[in-house]
Amino acid sequence: MLWVDKYRPKTLDKVIVHQDVAQNLQKLVSEGDCPHLLFYGPSGSGKKTLIMALLRQIFGPSADKVKVENKVWKVDAGTRTIDVELTTLSSTHHVELNPSDAGFQDRYVVQEIIKEMAKNRPIDTKGKKGFKVLVLNEVDKLSREAQHSLRRTMEKYSASCRLVLCSNSSSKVTEAVRSRCLNVRINAPMEEEIVNVLEFIAKKEGLQSPQGFAARIAEKSNRNLRRAVLTFETCRVQQYPFTNNQAIPPMDWEQYVSEIASDIMKEQSPKRLFEVRGKLYELLTNCIPPEIILKRLLFELLKKLDSELKHEVSNWAAHYEHRMRLGQKAIFHLEAFVAKFMSIYKSFLISTFG
Amino acid sequence: MKRFCVEFDENFTGIKVSTGLRCSNETWIDKHKPHLLEELAVQKKKVDEVKTWFEQRQKAAMDGHSNVLLVAGPSGVGKTATIHAIASHLGVTIWEWTTPTPTVWAEHLHNSNSGLQYMSKLDEFEGFVERVRKYGLTSPTLMGSQASTILVVDDLPVVNRRDAYGRLERCLTLLVQLVRIPTAIVITNYDKNDSADYSTHCWEELLVSLHSAGACKVNFNPVTVYSIKRTLNTICRKEQRVVGADTIELIAKASGGDIRHAINSLQYLCLKERQDNISCLDDMLCLPFGKDETLSLFHALGKFLHNKRESEHTIASDGDTFLLKEKFVRFPLKMDSPEVVLRQAHGQATSLSEFLHENVLDFLSEEAIDDAWLVASYLSDADFLLSSLNGRLSRDVGAENIIQSAAASVAARGVLFGNAHPVPSRWHAIRRPKLWEVEKSSRRNKCQMFSQRSDLYNSIAISNQTVMAAEFRPSLKWLGCRASETFQADSMVEDDSVGASLHENDLDLSDEEIEDW
Repeated sequence: MLWVDKYRPKTLDKVIVHQDVAQNLQKLVSEGDCPHLLFYGPSGSGKKTLIMALLRQIFGPSADKVKVENKVWKVDAGTRTIDVELTTLSSTHHVELNPSDAGFQDRYVVQEIIKEMAKNRPIDTKGKKGFKVLVLNEVDKLSREAQHSLRRTMEKYSASCRLVLCSNSSSKVTEAVRSRCLNVRINAPMEEEIVNVLEFIAKKEGLQSPQGFAARIAEKSNRNLRRAVLTFETCRVQQYPFTNNQAIPPMDWEQYVSEIASDIMKEQSPKRLFEVRGKLYELLTNCIPPEIILKRLLFELLKKLDSELKHEVSNWAAHYEHRMRLGQKAIFHLEAFVAKFMSIYKSFLISTFG
Repeated sequence: MKRFCVEFDENFTGIKVSTGLRCSNETWIDKHKPHLLEELAVQKKKVDEVKTWFEQRQKAAMDGHSNVLLVAGPSGVGKTATIHAIASHLGVTIWEWTTPTPTVWAEHLHNSNSGLQYMSKLDEFEGFVERVRKYGLTSPTLMGSQASTILVVDDLPVVNRRDAYGRLERCLTLLVQLVRIPTAIVITNYDKNDSADYSTHCWEELLVSLHSAGACKVNFNPVTVYSIKRTLNTICRKEQRVVGADTIELIAKASGGDIRHAINSLQYLCLKERQDNISCLDDMLCLPFGKDETLSLFHALGKFLHNKRESEHTIASDGDTFLLKEKFVRFPLKMDSPEVVLRQAHGQATSLSEFLHENVLDFLSEEAIDDAWLVASYLSDADFLLSSLNGRLSRDVGAENIIQSAAASVAARGVLFGNAHPVPSRWHAIRRPKLWEVEKSSRRNKCQMFSQRSDLYNSIAISNQTVMAAEFRPSLKWLGCRASETFQADSMVEDDSVGASLHENDLDLSDEEIEDW
């Protein structure tokens, strides 16, 4: 089991980061009920962990007994029935799923599942807790139609089910949905908090971590706790006992992107552009989302760039990022950005060095 | 030929035909059918080739060689006419196989009700070939003059499926090897670049395999503009009509080497009383006649990518012409406007932009990174236009078409305009877009990733693609390759201990909970 899973706090009172949020949540559900919730915050900040802990707080240990299954939903879409296959994680009290995996059929999925949950509504012995919780991930990636249907179903079935939504940014969740939920913002953990977590893990694992080592990992993690823990574990496998000057292995794709960046800086020509395209293809083949590639590439380029060009380059990156989201073929836009950068950089070189 | 004319006649008589034609109730194609070798518009060399072949076969039954001649070429270049003219020149009788008219479904039902067995046209053809092979021509009228008979197979049955094609090929091969009388098989190869259709490949394959089975082959080329002009002039003279020389030239050019088409156009043109407005038509696009030329996608791509331009401005800059900045000025193109080329290529905008994207960088000169950006930005625009189709719920065909052609035009013109310093022409192979492979393998990887996640790790089970691809997979790779065995063993042990501790936790918690309640 990965450390990320192993040391994931199981209950609200055991969390290390976001203790204040956890306490509030604990108070919120002390009556055994809760409103609809929307958790939002950057990736790796602990949204999912808090949600799981919250469920456990409500339903007790049985919420931990989850099973993963690939379920096929038969959805009646007017004239025909569609089969939608989705991976769900469910216990007796909750169902968790990524509706955006269903692509443009997401709107059917949400409705259908909620309906089904409403149909076999659990009845507690105490007559209480007659609701199930539906955890929806990546709500911001849901289409507008799906969010719209979500709003309607939220109202209609609010007696039998609670929704816990989880997304990276609340700005892509429609106003209507946001206003029906209690919004909980989860910030990215501070570096000190990450260090605390890493040291806690080190203690549990019985590892000696030299002074400042955890801080270095935290710094590299970009305030992403999940990444910090994964990196920590990778370091452990690579070299133990830890030394202070031990190289922290970067993510392979990030290394690749920085190679691309230095390729771009070295030569600006159509031929080099073609080589860069090949490397970008490599990344895309490995399912690295193009937005992330672009972001990382910009980051790497800006590191090496003269400050007077930074503004223009960032502007173009934003332009092509927008294009990429509107368009279909990410490579066209990625490449256009690279070409633009090369063109800017080359004319800069010529004007400064002649 | 004959069938074509019948249909043509029917069409024509249906319309009110002007007085000029009523007197001669025949189409000019039939009327002016070449009877003498000299009248043929076909290249002399090819005619001689066919003629010599027939003469040789007539003189002596050549046992060693096959008695089959394959005549191949595009439609309307005079394949059949040549054979007929030669036959009349040599004084031999033509015995022609014509494919029976296809059975329509209703007719088939009727037949099967009345007990008739359905026979596919291919079956009939096979039967025919079998008979010819074994017994020669058995028609009683021809029995006597067997020596001076040639067989012409002008019309091969249509085959669509692989097995049907196999049968046809087998049966033709047998014919090639065993037939005793001189036989000509006429094969029309449809415009090769017209479509990537299965049937075109079929015919090519068939030609090759028959050729290797021993048949002689003569390829007919499209008729030259000069020959068409000559023929048209002759016809005009015979019909006593005055048609301007430039009009004839236009017809000849527009026909694309198809003489049948040219003659039809001429006749059609002569139907019109007023001929004065014909001659002023100089734009190929609004001609009332002319064969729509087709280009292959690759041909069109080649045009866009090579970007051939005049070396100077042909149009002198008048006072009223729009003045452009230096950097926007390009020399005029040495081709039709991109939209015309696009229409001829009838390619999809999506695949066009993908092909252009894949190949355009090869055609840029080495230093021109600005050009590369310009091209890339236009391709990005085209992609943006194309994707605006996807989000729409109410699909409007008209709007879709407009967007498609706009995107194609942006992509093509962007490539033409952006490539301001094209490399001097040299040969480049056009690659197919690598993007397709990338998309495919990326989809596969994604599926694989999703299928793995459920049986691997707890927290990955439901995490999204970004997190999996960018965070879990790289770490798992590190963990996996560095210490796969030890790690696994470790984790097994750890698993147990964690399980135990978890259990304790559970107990703790439930106690607390009970207190809570």
